[in-house]
Amino acid sequence: MHCLKQTFKTFLRIPVLMLTLAVALLPANSLAQAPGTGLNPSAQELLDRGDELLLRGSYLAALEVFNRVDDDFFQTQAALGLSRAHMETGQYGQAEAVLQPAVTSPADNPQLATRLAELYVMTGRSQQAQVLLAEVVDGQLNPPVRTLVQYGLVLALRGDRDSADIQFNAALARYDSGLVFDSADVAMVAVAARQLDEFHDANALFSEAVRLDGNNLEALVLWGDLFQEKFNDQDAQINYNEALEINRRYAPALAGLARIESPERNLSRALDANSRSVAALQTFGDLMLRNGREDEGLGFLAQALEINPESIPALATLAARAAMNDDMQEFARLRERVNAFSPESADFYASIAEFLGNNYRFTEAVEYARRAIERDPRNWHAHTVLGGNLVRLGEEDQGKQHLEQAFDNDPFNVLTSNMLQVFDVLEEYATLESEHFRVNMSQRDARVLWPYMEPLLEDSWDRLVAKYGFEPEVPVVIQVFERTEDFAVRSVGLPDIGPLVGICFGKVVTLISPDTLSANWQEIVWHELVHVFTLQMTQNRMPRWLSEGISTWEESQGRPEWGRRQGLDLIRAVRQDRLLPVGSLNDGFTGANSDADLSFAYFQSYLVVEYIAEQYGFDSLLALIHEYAEIKDESEKFFNVFGIDMETFDAGFRAWIDQRVADINVYVHAEDSPDEGEGHGHGVRENSSAVLAELYNSESLKQYMQGRVQREPRDFQAHLQLGIVLFREEAYTEAITHLRTAHELLPDYTGYPSPSLVLAQIYEAMGDEVAQREQLAIMLENQQHDYNAPMTLAQFALDSGDLEQAAYYIDRALAVNPYRPEIHRVNAELASRQGDTERSVQEYEVLLTLDQNDPVAARTNLAQAYLENSQSDDARMTILRALETAPTYERAQRILLQAVAGEEED
Amino acid sequence: MNWRFVYQVCAAALLVLSPGLSLQAQLPDDESTPWFQQSVNTEKYAVIVTGAAASDAIAERFLRWTRDLHDTLRDDYGYSSGNIRVLFDAGQSPGSLAVSGSSRADDIAAELANLQQEVSAGDQVTLFMIGHGSGTFGAAKFNNVGPDMTGTDLAAMLDGFSEQDIVVINTTSASFEFSRELSALGRVVVSATRSPSERYDPIFPGYLIEGLQSHTADLDRNARVSVLEIFNYARGRVAGWYEEQGRLATENAVLDDTGDGLFSREPGPNQADGLLAEIAYLDVIVPQEEKTSPQAQALRADMQSIEREIFILRNQKQNYLEDEYWRRLEALLIDLATRTRTYNALP
Repeated sequence: MHCLKQTFKTFLRIPVLMLTLAVALLPANSLAQAPGTGLNPSAQELLDRGDELLLRGSYLAALEVFNRVDDDFFQTQAALGLSRAHMETGQYGQAEAVLQPAVTSPADNPQLATRLAELYVMTGRSQQAQVLLAEVVDGQLNPPVRTLVQYGLVLALRGDRDSADIQFNAALARYDSGLVFDSADVAMVAVAARQLDEFHDANALFSEAVRLDGNNLEALVLWGDLFQEKFNDQDAQINYNEALEINRRYAPALAGLARIESPERNLSRALDANSRSVAALQTFGDLMLRNGREDEGLGFLAQALEINPESIPALATLAARAAMNDDMQEFARLRERVNAFSPESADFYASIAEFLGNNYRFTEAVEYARRAIERDPRNWHAHTVLGGNLVRLGEEDQGKQHLEQAFDNDPFNVLTSNMLQVFDVLEEYATLESEHFRVNMSQRDARVLWPYMEPLLEDSWDRLVAKYGFEPEVPVVIQVFERTEDFAVRSVGLPDIGPLVGICFGKVVTLISPDTLSANWQEIVWHELVHVFTLQMTQNRMPRWLSEGISTWEESQGRPEWGRRQGLDLIRAVRQDRLLPVGSLNDGFTGANSDADLSFAYFQSYLVVEYIAEQYGFDSLLALIHEYAEIKDESEKFFNVFGIDMETFDAGFRAWIDQRVADINVYVHAEDSPDEGEGHGHGVRENSSAVLAELYNSESLKQYMQGRVQREPRDFQAHLQLGIVLFREEAYTEAITHLRTAHELLPDYTGYPSPSLVLAQIYEAMGDEVAQREQLAIMLENQQHDYNAPMTLAQFALDSGDLEQAAYYIDRALAVNPYRPEIHRVNAELASRQGDTERSVQEYEVLLTLDQNDPVAARTNLAQAYLENSQSDDARMTILRALETAPTYERAQRILLQAVAGEEED
Repeated sequence: MNWRFVYQVCAAALLVLSPGLSLQAQLPDDESTPWFQQSVNTEKYAVIVTGAAASDAIAERFLRWTRDLHDTLRDDYGYSSGNIRVLFDAGQSPGSLAVSGSSRADDIAAELANLQQEVSAGDQVTLFMIGHGSGTFGAAKFNNVGPDMTGTDLAAMLDGFSEQDIVVINTTSASFEFSRELSALGRVVVSATRSPSERYDPIFPGYLIEGLQSHTADLDRNARVSVLEIFNYARGRVAGWYEEQGRLATENAVLDDTGDGLFSREPGPNQADGLLAEIAYLDVIVPQEEKTSPQAQALRADMQSIEREIFILRNQKQNYLEDEYWRRLEALLIDLATRTRTYNALP
């Protein structure tokens, strides 16, 4: 039977070959003639034309052309073309209508039967697909490669992994025997290799498939999917774009690209081409849910499941949401639904784990990832998800173990290898412990930063425990990374994280080392610590807007100079009607298109929290936090605490904002740019006035600003700008007038330069040191990110014997930049004058790390400090190292003799 | 055959015979090299060659450096005015700076030939080069007034100083290939750059002069600045400057003192280069004020002997277990400190 079939197929091929040869020998102009324009296009011409139209995305035209093929001999090819054109446009019923009648005996028409089976899978009928493919495979001596692979995929989906592997291995064996030549088949072998975890081979085979046929869209997209699965977005993007250059309406490529860039635009384009693309609908659903657009998201998922009730990604998203909401009944229903076609699917559990991890539910994520691995220990993605989430829970060793296991078997996963590389970085880091914290930081930071971070952490801990009446699980793990890329990888697995400078996972906090920032690092630490409290108080159930709102509000409670003062932004936002309803505040984060948007999302969230604290009291805020520990509708939580619905709450907030804007009472010109800064509000935000003064002619700028001031006397920016221009012209008296007006209008303005900073510069130029210092002190009341001003004031206070003031300003400078040697020299001097020998030792120890230009002096000073602090042994060891370089240095020699004498006395 | 020549042959043979060994400076353990054995009886000379400037602003900078260097050597390092030769630009005399001639290659050759007549065996000649250099096309050159001078030209001019200790500090851009031509056994050569591609004007000379001023670079606190110390000081400051600016360093200073033409970025103990530079001091040795106590001279000799033992021990650090090294060093340092205290107390 098999032999007969082979013979028949061979017999069939001969005329096809002859026909192809005949076509090749035809004059070139007859081929160039498009069907429809010629008189009697042949069936082969029509097929070629149809394929070309399909390739370019002219699906309707392709349908028309394939329908014109009336030669029985070419009906299979015509049916394949027709069904594909229907499938690419989501006309799955029509596709089935084309295929079904032609597949009376599946084994006799394996291509059509396989296509029909693929259609069954796409529409959630995997069981039918399995039966059909089994018939083809069983009925053929050498079933087509595509059939083998699709059969394997169906078996894998339906939980029969061993049988699936047999099919995949058969496909690979076919390739190894040298019997696979066609690009489409090579791509199928690549899929088989990927299923067998032979990722290197899969990559090479996809490459070969594309080399054989650069127009193989399916291969390009499947290859792209493989890259994306490994978090290699760059290469995936290249593949999707290559496919889209050939066919800009190719929905699978658009759906893939949407996961990398411009999601809404690309998904809309995908759905324009195929409104029933399950991949596009499911991706759109996930996107909407991520952006807090619940109804739309669920709508897309429902559509996806209506078309394909067996879509594991869609079912997993719904199940993960159910798990997040503790709706275990719904979860069980969804699980049973999956079990009906894919018993205890590892992919289902791994997807749930990933979703939960991305939503900060690390404990549950670990649980589901473990379940996935239990079901399929070869699910390397689940190992990566498990490892990543364990790390976020502070379970470093276990996490690393799973990541290593994943990497050993799937070394192409960029996420896994990135995370493991960070472990290598951490191995070089110091581990430091205090009562409630375990901290990893570079050896340099351990010497320079830790002496100041440790007391900050413990002091903050005590204050927050007392305030929130809650003691988080200890030790809280804090990891401080010197390289931004390491921070990003540790935080999200990939090296680009945007403007973030710290992330809290509940029990673990990751930070960028202050050495790479120009911001008050102490405020950042405090901000993240508050997250530790609020996240742990709610088992990580708190929405981002409230968590960020509380942390940002707490900044202003931490120290007088901390916090964000963005009055101008508030006025601008109210005028532009950019304030979001309280119920949609999360959208401000998920939908941020720029750093400025993100910064404003923090600011508005903070305002809501401030409103709560001011109008309802801190206890209400605390009650709201506790509400979030439970699964309830947000409006119910608000009602329970405030006794009003969300709309009423929102109205009250709006009224409060309006009053605040009225209180600020500053005119903001529509043309002025908002202040810009990095680190979503942490750090200096720059005012454009200094740039304008550089760019424009002083006279015209002055005239313009004077006009503005005449029209609107409360135009802060115009007064500031005039002050700067007049300062440049050395018209100090006039400049002072405008700058003082600007300061009075907005005394807490923190942009750079501020009126008080420019005033300080004017007084410096006038030689009035007293007024200069006065202005610097005013500036520092609100500006927390400046290093130079506190240093100037500290030195002056030290010179004038005001040690208390000196200490205050030194602390202010240390909060911005503890890496500059001069601050430690000044602090050492202060310590010495206060007789604080312990702090003196600390400062000279730091200087030993920072002052590389003169190590002999650094060691000698440190040894002296040790001696004064009765640490003779340390003094001796330190001075020996100084004398090793400078044996005749008499000051060091004296210290050595004193240290030795001191030890003998001891 | 003089003793320097004998040493040169032996040392060169040692280098040739040990290709597998690291190119650590092959100086004897007791540090008794035939070079840089300065005493109160030997003289030190400085030749400052300042080439043509590409702009007025650069000319002003070159002049400032030249003047500062001249004044620092004269005021802080014990050089008499007559022992400092300034070959400046086109030979003009800017203000009070005494200029011996122009930076034309002929003038340089003539000045060095004159100097050769004045110096005695064991004297030290330090050549400072300030200006632009180029090494992109053909031989590396120093941009002096008139036809540019190559490293080979200058090497030929220095050939006559076989009995003197020579230090060349070339601070120009693209100075490396030029400096390599000057490399010779017993000579210390510093280049502000390490490749012809480092062609931007270096900031190295500014930090070099800063380190010399007030003996800032005297890291071992012995009141003298060695070529190694000033090199390390300037190199460190240059690196710090680029780091602070957040820029990639476009200059990397290097030093060679083994005559092999292989320059080191971080010369020093246990490195290929640095041992000769460490004993090549820029200060002129001045006679110390004699103490009247009869014990003082003996004590002084003891102190010098201990100091030498410390140097030897330090250079053999790798041969000791750490504890043993520090135990021995501490004993020597305590001995030295105690004797120094006694010596200082003597009349």
